[in-house]
Amino acid sequence: MLNFKAKAAFARLAAATAALTLLTAPLQAQEQRSIVGERYVPTIWVDPDGCEHWVMDDGAEGFMSPHVTPDGKPVCRRGNICGVMPTDQFFATDRHSINSAGKQRLQEFFKSANARTFVIAGHTDSRASDEYNIRLSERRANSVAQVGRSVGARISDVRAYGERDPIAPNTSASNMAKNRRVEIYCLR
Amino acid sequence: MQIFKASALVAAVAMLSACSETSNKTVDQHFGDASSGGLSQMTAGIWVDPRGCEHWLIDDGLEGYADLRRTPDGKPVCNSELPRNTATGPFKSGSSFPDAL
Repeated sequence: MLNFKAKAAFARLAAATAALTLLTAPLQAQEQRSIVGERYVPTIWVDPDGCEHWVMDDGAEGFMSPHVTPDGKPVCRRGNICGVMPTDQFFATDRHSINSAGKQRLQEFFKSANARTFVIAGHTDSRASDEYNIRLSERRANSVAQVGRSVGARISDVRAYGERDPIAPNTSASNMAKNRRVEIYCLR
Repeated sequence: MQIFKASALVAAVAMLSACSETSNKTVDQHFGDASSGGLSQMTAGIWVDPRGCEHWLIDDGLEGYADLRRTPDGKPVCNSELPRNTATGPFKSGSSFPDAL
C-alpha cells in the first residue's frame, strides 16, 4: 500500500517535471537567442519649439528621429502650448460666440504673441455625444481663429478634438472644466 | 579661407577613411568641419516640403539632419506661408563646407 502511494507520487512528480521541461524549453530558446547589433545610444537635440529629438552621429552618417510618447505626442521641455483658453471664461454652455470681454483679451493675446502663424485646437469635456462635442469644439476653435484673423494673425490650421484628447480624466467637475479648452499653438 | 576649407576637407576625408565603429554617437565625429561637437548644440533652419509642411533642417558639417516639426498634439505643422522646396534660417551655421559634398 505504502509502496503504491510512493509509486504514484513518483509518477506525478515525473509528469510534473516533464511538463515543466516542456514549458521551459521555448523560454530557454528565447534566452539563448542572441541579437546581433551595434550599440546606438542617442543624445537629445531640442528644436526651437522646445521639443526633443533623438540624434546620433555615426561617423559619416547622422541620424535623427522624434522623441514621442506612445500616443504620438512630441516630448517637449517647456510647455510649448502658448495659449490655453479655459472655455468657461469665453463661451456660454453649448455656445460658440465669444463674449466681448473675451474677444478683447484674445485680440491682445494674438497681437502680443509675436508668432509667425497660429494653430487653434478645440476641446470639450465628455458630456454629450462624441459627434456633438467634435462639432462644438470645431465651432469654438473657428470663433477663436476668427478673432485672430480680425487682428491680422495668420491661422495655419483649425483642429477639433471634441472629448477625444482630455488633459484630465472626466471624473470631477473641476477636471471637466480643465478639459473644456481651446489651445493655441504659436509658431515662431 | 579656401585653404582652410580644403585642408579641413582633406582632414575630414582622411578621418572618414580611417573610420571604424564609432562608440560615442552623441558627438560630432569630424573635427575641422566647424561643427561644435555636442549634437545637442546644433542650430536648425526650416525646410518646407512640396506639400507645405515644415521640417527642421540641420547641416552639421559632413552630416545633415532633418525631422518633422510638430505641434504639441503631435500633428505636423503644414499650410506654411514659407515658400515650398526652400530652406530658410541658420541651418548651415554648423558647417564650413562648400556643399559640393
